[in-house]
Amino acid sequence: MPQLEASSTIDFHSEVYKDAYSRINAIVIEGELEANGNYKQLAESLPDDQAELIKLAKMELRHMKGFQACGKNLNVSPDMEFAQKFFSELHNNFQAAWQDGRIITCLLIQSLIIETFAIAAYNIYIPVADDFARKITEGVVKDEYQHLNYGEQWLKANFESAKAELEVANRQNLPLVWKMLNQVATDAEVLGMEKDALVEDFMITYGEALANIGFNNREVMRLSAQGLAVV
Amino acid sequence: MSFHAPDSQVFSNQSRMFGLIGHLTSLEHAQSVARDLGYPEYADQGLDFWCSAPPQIVDTIRVKSATGQVIEGRYVESCFLPEMLAARRIKAATRKIINAMAHAQKHGVDITALGGFSSIIFENFNLNQIHQVRNIKLDFHRFTTGNTHTAYIICRQVEQASRKLGIELSRATVAVCGATGDIGSAVCQWLNARTDIQDLLLIARNQERIQQLQDRLGRGKAMTLEEALPQADIVVWVASMPKGVEIEAAALKQPCLMVDGGYPKNLATRFNHPAVHVLKGGIVEHSLDIDWRIMNIVNMDVPARQLFACFAESMLLEFEKWYTNFSWDETRLR
Repeated sequence: MPQLEASSTIDFHSEVYKDAYSRINAIVIEGELEANGNYKQLAESLPDDQAELIKLAKMELRHMKGFQACGKNLNVSPDMEFAQKFFSELHNNFQAAWQDGRIITCLLIQSLIIETFAIAAYNIYIPVADDFARKITEGVVKDEYQHLNYGEQWLKANFESAKAELEVANRQNLPLVWKMLNQVATDAEVLGMEKDALVEDFMITYGEALANIGFNNREVMRLSAQGLAVV
Repeated sequence: MSFHAPDSQVFSNQSRMFGLIGHLTSLEHAQSVARDLGYPEYADQGLDFWCSAPPQIVDTIRVKSATGQVIEGRYVESCFLPEMLAARRIKAATRKIINAMAHAQKHGVDITALGGFSSIIFENFNLNQIHQVRNIKLDFHRFTTGNTHTAYIICRQVEQASRKLGIELSRATVAVCGATGDIGSAVCQWLNARTDIQDLLLIARNQERIQQLQDRLGRGKAMTLEEALPQADIVVWVASMPKGVEIEAAALKQPCLMVDGGYPKNLATRFNHPAVHVLKGGIVEHSLDIDWRIMNIVNMDVPARQLFACFAESMLLEFEKWYTNFSWDETRLR
Protein backbone atom coordinates (compact mmCIF):
# COMPACT_ATOMS: atom_id res chain seq x y z
CA MET A 1 0.00 0.00 0.00
CA PRO A 2 1.56 3.33 -1.00
CA GLN A 3 1.97 5.93 1.72
CA LEU A 4 0.36 9.31 1.97
CA GLU A 5 3.02 11.95 1.37
CA ALA A 6 3.37 14.52 4.11
CA SER A 7 1.95 17.77 2.84
CA SER A 8 4.57 20.46 2.41
CA THR A 9 4.17 23.48 4.63
CA ILE A 10 2.89 26.60 2.94
CA ASP A 11 4.81 29.88 3.15
CA PHE A 12 1.97 32.42 3.21
CA HIS A 13 4.41 35.30 2.77
CA SER A 14 6.36 34.00 -0.21
CA GLU A 15 6.11 35.99 -3.43
CA VAL A 16 4.74 32.94 -5.28
CA TYR A 17 1.97 32.50 -2.73
CA LYS A 18 1.09 36.18 -2.65
CA ASP A 19 1.02 36.39 -6.43
CA ALA A 20 -1.44 33.48 -6.69
CA TYR A 21 -3.41 34.89 -3.74
CA SER A 22 -3.86 38.22 -5.53
CA ARG A 23 -6.03 36.46 -8.12
CA ILE A 24 -7.80 33.93 -5.90
CA ASN A 25 -8.57 36.57 -3.27
CA ALA A 26 -9.88 38.88 -6.01
CA ILE A 27 -12.16 36.15 -7.35
CA VAL A 28 -13.61 35.59 -3.92
CA ILE A 29 -14.17 39.32 -3.35
CA GLU A 30 -15.70 39.74 -6.80
CA GLY A 31 -17.85 36.63 -6.30
CA GLU A 32 -19.31 38.03 -3.09
CA LEU A 33 -19.89 41.41 -4.76
CA GLU A 34 -21.61 39.77 -7.74
CA ALA A 35 -23.74 37.78 -5.30
CA ASN A 36 -24.68 40.97 -3.48
CA GLY A 37 -25.81 42.59 -6.74
CA ASN A 38 -27.59 39.46 -7.95
CA TYR A 39 -29.63 39.10 -4.75
CA LYS A 40 -30.61 42.77 -4.87
CA GLN A 41 -31.86 42.31 -8.44
CA LEU A 42 -33.69 39.12 -7.46
CA ALA A 43 -35.35 41.05 -4.62
CA GLU A 44 -36.86 43.36 -7.22
CA SER A 45 -38.22 40.41 -9.19
CA LEU A 46 -39.50 38.42 -6.21
CA PRO A 47 -41.33 40.95 -4.01
CA ASP A 48 -42.70 38.24 -1.71
CA ASP A 49 -39.16 37.27 -0.76
CA GLN A 50 -37.77 40.79 -0.79
CA ALA A 51 -36.84 40.97 2.88
CA GLU A 52 -35.11 37.58 2.78
CA LEU A 53 -33.19 38.42 -0.40
CA ILE A 54 -32.04 41.79 0.89
CA LYS A 55 -30.81 40.03 4.01
CA LEU A 56 -28.83 37.58 1.85
CA ALA A 57 -27.43 40.47 -0.22
CA LYS A 58 -26.20 42.17 2.94
CA MET A 59 -24.54 39.00 4.18
CA GLU A 60 -22.65 38.71 0.89
CA LEU A 61 -21.33 42.23 1.34
CA ARG A 62 -20.14 41.34 4.84
CA HIS A 63 -18.36 38.30 3.39
CA MET A 64 -16.70 40.51 0.79
CA LYS A 65 -15.34 42.75 3.53
CA GLY A 66 -14.05 39.73 5.42
CA PHE A 67 -12.14 38.52 2.38
CA GLN A 68 -10.75 42.00 1.73
CA ALA A 69 -9.35 41.83 5.25
CA CYS A 70 -7.76 38.45 4.43
CA GLY A 71 -5.90 40.04 1.51
CA LYS A 72 -4.79 42.99 3.61
CA ASN A 73 -3.59 40.65 6.33
CA LEU A 74 -1.16 39.08 3.86
CA ASN A 75 -0.29 42.42 2.26
CA VAL A 76 -1.81 41.39 -1.05
CA SER A 77 -3.63 43.70 -3.48
CA PRO A 78 -6.41 41.76 -5.17
CA ASP A 79 -6.31 41.75 -8.98
CA MET A 80 -9.91 42.90 -9.46
CA GLU A 81 -9.58 43.30 -13.20
CA PHE A 82 -8.74 39.62 -13.52
CA ALA A 83 -11.66 38.72 -11.27
CA GLN A 84 -14.21 40.75 -13.23
CA LYS A 85 -13.09 39.09 -16.45
CA PHE A 86 -13.22 35.72 -14.66
CA PHE A 87 -16.91 36.20 -13.78
CA SER A 88 -17.90 38.05 -16.95
CA GLU A 89 -19.62 35.21 -18.79
CA LEU A 90 -21.67 34.13 -15.77
CA HIS A 91 -22.35 37.80 -15.04
CA ASN A 92 -23.57 38.45 -18.59
CA ASN A 93 -25.76 35.36 -18.59
CA PHE A 94 -27.34 36.46 -15.30
CA GLN A 95 -27.99 39.97 -16.57
CA ALA A 96 -29.47 38.75 -19.87
CA ALA A 97 -31.76 36.34 -18.02
CA TRP A 98 -32.84 39.04 -15.55
CA GLN A 99 -33.64 41.46 -18.38
CA ASP A 100 -35.82 38.75 -19.99
CA GLY A 101 -37.51 37.91 -16.69
CA ARG A 102 -36.03 34.38 -16.64
CA ILE A 103 -35.89 34.20 -12.86
CA ILE A 104 -35.29 30.46 -12.81
CA THR A 105 -32.11 30.93 -14.81
CA CYS A 106 -31.06 33.73 -12.46
CA LEU A 107 -31.63 31.49 -9.44
CA LEU A 108 -29.69 28.65 -11.03
CA ILE A 109 -26.73 30.93 -11.73
CA GLN A 110 -26.67 32.66 -8.35
CA SER A 111 -28.23 30.34 -5.82
CA LEU A 112 -26.95 27.08 -7.21
CA ILE A 113 -23.85 27.62 -9.32
CA ILE A 114 -22.19 30.59 -7.62
CA GLU A 115 -23.10 29.43 -4.11
CA THR A 116 -21.92 25.88 -4.79
CA PHE A 117 -18.74 27.16 -6.39
CA ALA A 118 -18.11 29.26 -3.29
CA ILE A 119 -18.91 26.44 -0.87
CA ALA A 120 -16.58 24.04 -2.71
CA ALA A 121 -13.76 26.57 -2.84
CA TYR A 122 -14.14 27.54 0.83
CA ASN A 123 -14.34 23.92 2.01
CA ILE A 124 -11.15 23.04 0.18
CA TYR A 125 -9.44 26.28 1.24
CA ILE A 126 -10.14 26.04 4.98
CA PRO A 127 -7.63 23.26 5.77
CA VAL A 128 -4.82 25.08 3.92
CA ALA A 129 -5.66 28.70 4.85
CA ASP A 130 -3.63 30.96 7.14
CA ASP A 131 -5.11 31.25 10.63
CA PHE A 132 -6.70 34.65 10.01
CA ALA A 133 -8.36 33.61 6.74
CA ARG A 134 -9.45 30.24 8.15
CA LYS A 135 -11.56 31.81 10.87
CA ILE A 136 -13.22 34.18 8.42
CA THR A 137 -13.83 31.50 5.80
CA GLU A 138 -15.31 29.09 8.35
CA GLY A 139 -17.87 31.72 9.28
CA VAL A 140 -18.67 32.50 5.66
CA VAL A 141 -19.17 28.91 4.55
CA LYS A 142 -21.88 28.40 7.16
CA ASP A 143 -23.80 31.34 5.69
CA GLU A 144 -23.35 30.11 2.13
CA TYR A 145 -25.14 26.85 2.91
CA GLN A 146 -28.13 28.99 3.96
CA HIS A 147 -28.03 30.88 0.68
CA LEU A 148 -27.90 27.66 -1.29
CA ASN A 149 -30.87 26.53 0.74
CA TYR A 150 -32.88 29.59 -0.27
CA GLY A 151 -32.51 28.77 -3.99
CA GLU A 152 -33.19 25.08 -3.38
CA GLN A 153 -36.38 25.79 -1.49
CA TRP A 154 -37.68 28.23 -4.08
CA LEU A 155 -36.91 25.93 -7.00
CA LYS A 156 -38.30 22.91 -5.14
CA ALA A 157 -41.58 24.71 -4.54
CA ASN A 158 -41.77 25.59 -8.24
CA PHE A 159 -40.09 22.44 -9.56
CA GLU A 160 -42.62 21.33 -12.18
CA SER A 161 -42.78 24.70 -13.89
CA ALA A 162 -39.04 25.35 -13.43
CA LYS A 163 -37.69 22.00 -14.62
CA ALA A 164 -37.37 22.69 -18.35
CA GLU A 165 -35.76 26.09 -17.86
CA LEU A 166 -33.37 24.69 -15.24
CA GLU A 167 -32.16 22.09 -17.73
CA VAL A 168 -31.51 24.71 -20.40
CA ALA A 169 -29.81 27.04 -17.93
CA ASN A 170 -27.69 24.20 -16.59
CA ARG A 171 -26.51 23.26 -20.08
CA GLN A 172 -25.64 26.87 -20.78
CA ASN A 173 -23.90 27.72 -17.53
CA LEU A 174 -22.37 24.63 -15.98
CA PRO A 175 -19.60 24.32 -18.60
CA LEU A 176 -18.56 27.86 -17.62
CA VAL A 177 -17.80 26.60 -14.11
CA TRP A 178 -15.45 23.94 -15.49
CA LYS A 179 -13.75 26.58 -17.59
CA MET A 180 -13.40 28.83 -14.54
CA LEU A 181 -12.00 25.98 -12.44
CA ASN A 182 -9.43 25.22 -15.13
CA GLN A 183 -8.48 28.88 -15.31
CA VAL A 184 -7.54 29.04 -11.63
CA ALA A 185 -6.23 25.51 -11.20
CA THR A 186 -2.57 26.57 -11.14
CA ASP A 187 -3.10 29.41 -8.69
CA ALA A 188 -5.29 27.23 -6.49
CA GLU A 189 -2.56 24.58 -6.44
CA VAL A 190 -0.08 27.16 -5.10
CA LEU A 191 -2.54 27.78 -2.24
CA GLY A 192 -2.64 24.03 -1.55
CA MET A 193 -6.02 23.46 -3.17
CA GLU A 194 -6.21 20.60 -5.66
CA LYS A 195 -8.37 20.86 -8.73
CA ASP A 196 -9.62 17.27 -8.28
CA ALA A 197 -10.85 18.11 -4.83
CA LEU A 198 -12.50 21.36 -5.97
CA VAL A 199 -14.36 19.69 -8.83
CA GLU A 200 -15.42 16.83 -6.58
CA ASP A 201 -16.69 19.11 -3.84
CA PHE A 202 -18.56 21.18 -6.42
CA MET A 203 -20.14 18.08 -7.99
CA ILE A 204 -21.20 16.72 -4.58
CA THR A 205 -22.83 19.94 -3.38
CA TYR A 206 -24.34 20.77 -6.77
CA GLY A 207 -25.70 17.23 -7.17
CA GLU A 208 -27.21 17.36 -3.68
CA ALA A 209 -28.86 20.68 -4.49
CA LEU A 210 -30.36 19.30 -7.73
CA ALA A 211 -31.63 16.25 -5.85
CA ASN A 212 -33.17 18.44 -3.13
CA ILE A 213 -34.97 20.46 -5.77
CA GLY A 214 -36.57 17.32 -7.19
CA PHE A 215 -34.38 15.84 -9.91
CA ASN A 216 -33.96 12.07 -9.72
CA ASN A 217 -30.60 10.35 -9.50
CA ARG A 218 -30.30 9.70 -13.21
CA GLU A 219 -31.21 13.30 -14.06
CA VAL A 220 -28.68 14.59 -11.53
CA MET A 221 -25.93 12.52 -13.13
CA ARG A 222 -26.90 13.68 -16.62
CA LEU A 223 -27.13 17.34 -15.61
CA SER A 224 -23.80 17.20 -13.74
CA ALA A 225 -22.10 15.64 -16.75
CA GLN A 226 -23.04 18.66 -18.85
CA GLY A 227 -20.29 20.54 -17.08
CA LEU A 228 -17.80 18.40 -18.94
CA ALA A 229 -18.86 19.85 -22.30
CA VAL A 230 -16.06 21.92 -23.75
CA VAL A 231 -16.75 25.65 -24.08
CA MET B 1 -61.21 -4.99 7.62
CA SER B 2 -57.78 -6.48 7.14
CA PHE B 3 -54.67 -5.36 8.93
CA HIS B 4 -52.48 -7.12 6.44
CA ALA B 5 -50.55 -4.37 4.72
CA PRO B 6 -49.12 -4.94 1.28
CA ASP B 7 -45.37 -5.33 1.11
CA SER B 8 -44.67 -1.82 -0.08
CA GLN B 9 -46.60 -0.33 2.78
CA VAL B 10 -44.76 -2.39 5.36
CA PHE B 11 -41.66 -1.22 3.64
CA SER B 12 -42.34 2.49 3.59
CA ASN B 13 -43.05 2.38 7.31
CA GLN B 14 -39.51 1.28 7.98
CA SER B 15 -37.21 4.17 8.47
CA ARG B 16 -34.07 2.24 9.29
CA MET B 17 -31.65 1.33 6.54
CA PHE B 18 -28.39 -0.48 5.96
CA GLY B 19 -25.79 0.59 3.44
CA LEU B 20 -22.95 -0.82 1.42
CA ILE B 21 -20.03 1.21 0.11
CA GLY B 22 -18.48 -0.42 -2.92
CA HIS B 23 -16.37 0.36 -5.94
CA LEU B 24 -15.53 -1.08 -9.33
CA THR B 25 -12.45 -3.14 -10.01
CA SER B 26 -10.68 -1.07 -12.67
CA LEU B 27 -11.00 1.98 -14.88
CA GLU B 28 -11.99 -0.21 -17.79
CA HIS B 29 -14.65 -1.88 -15.66
CA ALA B 30 -15.95 1.52 -14.54
CA GLN B 31 -16.19 2.74 -18.11
CA SER B 32 -18.09 -0.33 -19.25
CA VAL B 33 -20.49 -0.18 -16.29
CA ALA B 34 -21.15 3.51 -16.99
CA ARG B 35 -21.95 2.60 -20.58
CA ASP B 36 -24.21 -0.32 -19.53
CA LEU B 37 -26.09 1.87 -17.05
CA GLY B 38 -26.74 4.45 -19.78
CA TYR B 39 -24.23 7.20 -18.89
CA PRO B 40 -22.18 7.56 -22.08
CA GLU B 41 -20.77 10.92 -20.88
CA TYR B 42 -19.06 9.11 -18.01
CA ALA B 43 -18.02 6.10 -20.06
CA ASP B 44 -15.52 8.08 -22.11
CA GLN B 45 -13.74 9.65 -19.15
CA GLY B 46 -10.28 8.74 -17.89
CA LEU B 47 -8.85 8.41 -14.38
CA ASP B 48 -8.81 12.21 -13.82
CA PHE B 49 -12.57 12.30 -14.06
CA TRP B 50 -13.04 9.45 -11.58
CA CYS B 51 -10.66 11.23 -9.17
CA SER B 52 -13.17 14.08 -8.98
CA ALA B 53 -16.41 12.15 -9.42
CA PRO B 54 -18.89 12.36 -6.53
CA PRO B 55 -20.28 9.32 -4.72
CA GLN B 56 -23.63 8.05 -5.96
CA ILE B 57 -26.39 5.87 -4.58
CA VAL B 58 -26.83 3.50 -7.50
CA ASP B 59 -29.04 0.78 -6.07
CA THR B 60 -31.88 0.27 -3.63
CA ILE B 61 -31.80 -3.13 -2.00
CA ARG B 62 -34.50 -5.18 -0.32
CA VAL B 63 -33.65 -8.30 1.60
CA LYS B 64 -36.24 -10.68 2.98
CA SER B 65 -35.15 -13.12 5.67
CA ALA B 66 -36.32 -16.72 5.86
CA THR B 67 -38.73 -15.61 8.60
CA GLY B 68 -40.26 -12.91 6.40
CA GLN B 69 -38.59 -9.84 7.88
CA VAL B 70 -37.77 -7.27 5.23
CA ILE B 71 -34.97 -4.72 5.41
CA GLU B 72 -34.04 -1.98 3.00
CA GLY B 73 -30.64 -0.72 2.02
CA ARG B 74 -28.68 1.53 -0.30
CA TYR B 75 -25.62 0.77 -2.38
CA VAL B 76 -23.20 3.70 -2.49
CA GLU B 77 -20.71 3.69 -5.36
CA SER B 78 -17.71 5.59 -4.06
CA CYS B 79 -16.12 6.07 -7.53
CA PHE B 80 -12.84 4.84 -6.04
CA LEU B 81 -10.73 2.84 -8.51
CA PRO B 82 -7.69 0.70 -7.63
CA GLU B 83 -5.71 2.63 -10.29
CA MET B 84 -5.78 5.63 -7.92
CA LEU B 85 -3.46 3.73 -5.57
CA ALA B 86 -1.23 2.55 -8.41
CA ALA B 87 -1.00 6.12 -9.77
CA ARG B 88 -0.33 7.43 -6.24
CA ARG B 89 -3.46 9.57 -6.29
CA ILE B 90 -3.72 8.80 -2.60
CA LYS B 91 -5.56 11.95 -1.61
CA ALA B 92 -8.19 11.25 -4.25
CA ALA B 93 -8.51 7.67 -2.98
CA THR B 94 -9.02 8.78 0.61
CA ARG B 95 -11.50 11.47 -0.44
CA LYS B 96 -13.60 8.86 -2.26
CA ILE B 97 -14.02 6.81 0.90
CA ILE B 98 -14.71 9.74 3.23
CA ASN B 99 -17.16 11.31 0.77
CA ALA B 100 -18.99 8.02 0.26
CA MET B 101 -19.33 7.69 4.05
CA ALA B 102 -20.65 11.24 4.33
CA HIS B 103 -23.06 10.50 1.47
CA ALA B 104 -24.40 7.39 3.21
CA GLN B 105 -24.81 9.24 6.49
CA LYS B 106 -26.49 12.19 4.79
CA HIS B 107 -29.01 9.81 3.24
CA GLY B 108 -29.96 8.46 6.63
CA VAL B 109 -28.25 5.09 6.38
CA ASP B 110 -27.89 3.66 9.87
CA ILE B 111 -25.24 1.00 9.41
CA THR B 112 -22.93 0.89 6.40
CA ALA B 113 -20.28 -1.69 5.51
CA LEU B 114 -17.06 -0.52 3.91
CA GLY B 115 -16.55 -2.99 1.06
CA GLY B 116 -13.49 -3.92 -1.00
CA PHE B 117 -10.68 -1.40 -0.67
CA SER B 118 -12.81 1.01 1.37
CA SER B 119 -11.99 -0.42 4.79
CA ILE B 120 -8.35 -1.03 3.80
CA ILE B 121 -7.95 2.63 2.82
CA PHE B 122 -9.85 3.81 5.88
CA GLU B 123 -7.57 1.92 8.23
CA ASN B 124 -4.30 2.33 6.35
CA PHE B 125 -4.58 6.10 6.05
CA ASN B 126 -6.09 6.65 9.51
CA LEU B 127 -9.20 8.29 8.15
CA ASN B 128 -10.68 8.09 11.65
CA GLN B 129 -8.83 11.37 12.21
CA ILE B 130 -11.30 13.07 9.87
CA HIS B 131 -14.51 14.02 11.63
CA GLN B 132 -15.87 16.91 9.64
CA VAL B 133 -16.78 16.51 5.95
CA ARG B 134 -18.30 19.69 4.54
CA ASN B 135 -21.40 20.31 6.69
CA ILE B 136 -21.51 16.74 8.01
CA LYS B 137 -19.98 15.49 11.22
CA LEU B 138 -19.12 11.86 10.54
CA ASP B 139 -20.63 9.48 13.06
CA PHE B 140 -18.34 6.45 13.01
CA HIS B 141 -20.92 4.41 14.92
CA ARG B 142 -22.77 4.12 11.63
CA PHE B 143 -19.97 2.24 9.86
CA THR B 144 -18.49 -1.21 10.06
CA THR B 145 -15.60 -2.77 8.18
CA GLY B 146 -17.51 -6.04 7.92
CA ASN B 147 -14.27 -7.83 8.82
CA THR B 148 -15.78 -9.88 11.64
CA HIS B 149 -18.24 -11.61 9.37
CA THR B 150 -15.67 -12.01 6.60
CA ALA B 151 -13.25 -13.71 9.02
CA TYR B 152 -16.02 -15.88 10.45
CA ILE B 153 -17.13 -17.02 7.00
CA ILE B 154 -13.57 -17.86 5.99
CA CYS B 155 -13.15 -19.96 9.15
CA ARG B 156 -16.40 -21.81 8.46
CA GLN B 157 -15.30 -22.39 4.87
CA VAL B 158 -12.07 -23.93 6.17
CA GLU B 159 -13.98 -26.19 8.56
CA GLN B 160 -16.62 -27.35 6.10
CA ALA B 161 -14.53 -27.68 2.95
CA SER B 162 -11.75 -29.57 4.74
CA ARG B 163 -14.31 -32.10 5.95
CA LYS B 164 -15.62 -32.53 2.43
CA LEU B 165 -12.12 -33.06 1.05
CA GLY B 166 -11.17 -35.55 3.74
CA ILE B 167 -8.58 -33.25 5.32
CA GLU B 168 -8.67 -33.86 9.07
CA LEU B 169 -8.07 -30.61 10.91
CA SER B 170 -6.41 -32.41 13.82
CA ARG B 171 -3.71 -33.54 11.45
CA ALA B 172 -3.67 -30.47 9.22
CA THR B 173 -1.18 -27.66 8.85
CA VAL B 174 -2.90 -24.36 8.09
CA ALA B 175 -0.98 -21.44 6.58
CA VAL B 176 -2.47 -17.96 6.85
CA CYS B 177 -1.08 -15.49 4.32
CA GLY B 178 -1.66 -11.99 5.67
CA ALA B 179 -1.83 -13.36 9.21
CA THR B 180 -1.33 -10.09 11.06
CA GLY B 181 -4.05 -8.12 9.27
CA ASP B 182 -7.44 -7.52 10.84
CA ILE B 183 -9.07 -10.48 9.09
CA GLY B 184 -5.95 -12.68 9.19
CA SER B 185 -5.40 -12.36 12.92
CA ALA B 186 -9.09 -13.04 13.58
CA VAL B 187 -8.89 -16.21 11.46
CA CYS B 188 -5.79 -17.33 13.40
CA GLN B 189 -7.52 -16.72 16.73
CA TRP B 190 -10.64 -18.63 15.69
CA LEU B 191 -8.70 -21.59 14.31
CA ASN B 192 -6.56 -21.64 17.45
CA ALA B 193 -9.43 -21.39 19.94
CA ARG B 194 -12.21 -23.30 18.22
CA THR B 195 -10.56 -26.01 16.14
CA ASP B 196 -7.90 -28.63 16.83
CA ILE B 197 -5.64 -27.85 13.86
CA GLN B 198 -2.24 -29.41 14.26
CA ASP B 199 -0.04 -26.55 13.06
CA LEU B 200 -0.43 -22.91 12.23
CA LEU B 201 1.97 -21.12 9.84
CA LEU B 202 1.97 -17.33 9.92
CA ILE B 203 2.94 -15.42 6.79
CA ALA B 204 3.24 -11.62 7.00
CA ARG B 205 5.75 -8.90 6.20
CA ASN B 206 6.01 -7.21 9.58
CA GLN B 207 8.06 -9.37 11.98
CA GLU B 208 7.12 -7.30 15.01
CA ARG B 209 3.43 -7.84 14.40
CA ILE B 210 4.01 -11.57 13.83
CA GLN B 211 5.71 -11.69 17.22
CA GLN B 212 2.74 -9.94 18.84
CA LEU B 213 0.35 -12.39 17.22
CA GLN B 214 2.44 -15.36 18.34
CA ASP B 215 2.41 -13.97 21.89
CA ARG B 216 -1.35 -13.65 21.77
CA LEU B 217 -1.91 -17.12 20.33
CA GLY B 218 0.81 -18.87 22.25
CA ARG B 219 1.68 -20.71 19.05
CA GLY B 220 2.24 -20.27 15.30
CA LYS B 221 5.39 -20.49 13.20
CA ALA B 222 6.51 -17.46 11.22
CA MET B 223 7.47 -18.37 7.67
CA THR B 224 7.90 -17.03 4.18
CA LEU B 225 5.31 -17.96 1.60
CA GLU B 226 7.81 -20.20 -0.22
CA GLU B 227 8.62 -22.08 2.99
CA ALA B 228 5.02 -22.44 4.06
CA LEU B 229 3.28 -23.58 0.87
CA PRO B 230 4.84 -27.08 0.56
CA GLN B 231 3.92 -27.82 4.21
CA ALA B 232 0.34 -26.59 4.20
CA ASP B 233 -2.76 -28.75 3.82
CA ILE B 234 -4.86 -25.61 3.94
CA VAL B 235 -3.89 -22.08 2.87
CA VAL B 236 -6.00 -19.08 3.86
CA TRP B 237 -5.27 -16.03 1.70
CA VAL B 238 -6.21 -12.73 3.31
CA ALA B 239 -3.28 -10.51 2.38
CA SER B 240 -3.63 -7.07 0.90
CA MET B 241 -1.44 -7.25 -2.20
CA PRO B 242 -1.55 -5.17 -5.36
CA LYS B 243 -1.66 -8.18 -7.65
CA GLY B 244 -2.20 -11.89 -7.24
CA VAL B 245 0.65 -14.41 -6.90
CA GLU B 246 1.39 -17.18 -9.40
CA ILE B 247 1.83 -20.62 -7.86
CA GLU B 248 2.81 -23.97 -9.35
CA ALA B 249 0.53 -26.82 -8.31
CA ALA B 250 3.66 -28.93 -7.94
CA ALA B 251 4.76 -26.71 -5.04
CA LEU B 252 1.65 -27.66 -3.04
CA LYS B 253 0.69 -30.59 -0.89
CA GLN B 254 -1.97 -32.83 -2.35
CA PRO B 255 -4.74 -32.53 -1.54
CA CYS B 256 -4.56 -28.84 -0.78
CA LEU B 257 -7.45 -26.55 0.13
CA MET B 258 -7.00 -22.88 -0.59
CA VAL B 259 -9.49 -20.26 0.58
CA ASP B 260 -8.86 -16.98 -1.20
CA GLY B 261 -10.48 -14.22 0.85
CA GLY B 262 -8.03 -11.52 -0.23
CA TYR B 263 -9.08 -8.28 -1.78
CA PRO B 264 -8.13 -8.09 -4.58
CA LYS B 265 -7.91 -11.87 -5.04
CA ASN B 266 -4.53 -13.11 -3.82
CA LEU B 267 -4.28 -15.96 -6.32
CA ALA B 268 -3.56 -15.13 -9.92
CA THR B 269 -3.35 -18.79 -10.90
CA ARG B 270 -6.37 -20.86 -11.91
CA PHE B 271 -5.51 -24.41 -10.95
CA ASN B 272 -6.43 -27.24 -13.21
CA HIS B 273 -5.38 -29.96 -10.83
CA PRO B 274 -7.72 -32.51 -9.24
CA ALA B 275 -6.04 -32.28 -5.84
CA VAL B 276 -5.89 -28.49 -5.57
CA HIS B 277 -9.16 -26.96 -4.43
CA VAL B 278 -9.64 -23.20 -4.48
CA LEU B 279 -12.63 -21.57 -2.80
CA LYS B 280 -13.66 -17.96 -3.13
CA GLY B 281 -13.34 -16.83 0.47
CA GLY B 282 -15.55 -14.45 2.36
CA ILE B 283 -18.54 -14.80 0.06
CA VAL B 284 -21.95 -15.75 1.42
CA GLU B 285 -25.20 -16.83 -0.12
CA HIS B 286 -28.65 -15.80 1.09
CA SER B 287 -31.46 -18.35 1.15
CA LEU B 288 -33.81 -16.14 -0.89
CA ASP B 289 -33.31 -13.89 -3.90
CA ILE B 290 -32.28 -10.33 -3.05
CA ASP B 291 -33.88 -7.50 -4.97
CA TRP B 292 -30.84 -5.64 -6.33
CA ARG B 293 -28.83 -5.12 -9.49
CA ILE B 294 -25.40 -4.46 -8.16
CA MET B 295 -24.10 -8.00 -7.71
CA ASN B 296 -24.44 -8.56 -11.46
CA ILE B 297 -21.92 -5.81 -11.87
CA VAL B 298 -19.39 -7.32 -9.49
CA ASN B 299 -19.61 -10.66 -11.30
CA MET B 300 -20.89 -13.01 -8.61
CA ASP B 301 -21.65 -16.59 -9.69
CA VAL B 302 -25.21 -16.32 -8.36
CA PRO B 303 -25.83 -12.55 -8.45
CA ALA B 304 -29.31 -12.67 -6.89
CA ARG B 305 -28.10 -14.44 -3.76
CA GLN B 306 -24.35 -14.14 -3.35
CA LEU B 307 -22.53 -11.24 -1.78
CA PHE B 308 -19.38 -10.29 0.07
CA ALA B 309 -19.54 -11.26 3.74
CA CYS B 310 -18.60 -7.72 4.76
CA PHE B 311 -21.81 -6.50 3.12
CA ALA B 312 -23.74 -9.28 4.79
CA GLU B 313 -22.47 -7.98 8.14
CA SER B 314 -24.33 -4.70 7.72
CA MET B 315 -27.47 -6.61 6.68
CA LEU B 316 -27.21 -8.83 9.75
CA LEU B 317 -26.78 -5.81 11.99
CA GLU B 318 -29.84 -4.27 10.35
CA PHE B 319 -31.89 -7.45 10.82
CA GLU B 320 -30.84 -7.54 14.46
CA LYS B 321 -31.28 -3.75 14.86
CA TRP B 322 -27.79 -3.48 16.21
CA TYR B 323 -26.87 0.01 15.12
CA THR B 324 -23.26 -0.08 16.14
CA ASN B 325 -19.87 -0.10 14.43
CA PHE B 326 -19.54 -3.79 15.05
CA SER B 327 -16.11 -4.36 13.47
CA TRP B 328 -14.15 -1.26 14.24
CA ASP B 329 -10.45 -1.08 15.09
CA GLU B 330 -10.53 -4.87 15.20
CA THR B 331 -12.85 -7.77 14.54
CA ARG B 332 -15.02 -9.25 17.27
CA LEU B 333 -14.16 -12.83 16.39
CA ARG B 334 -12.92 -14.68 19.43
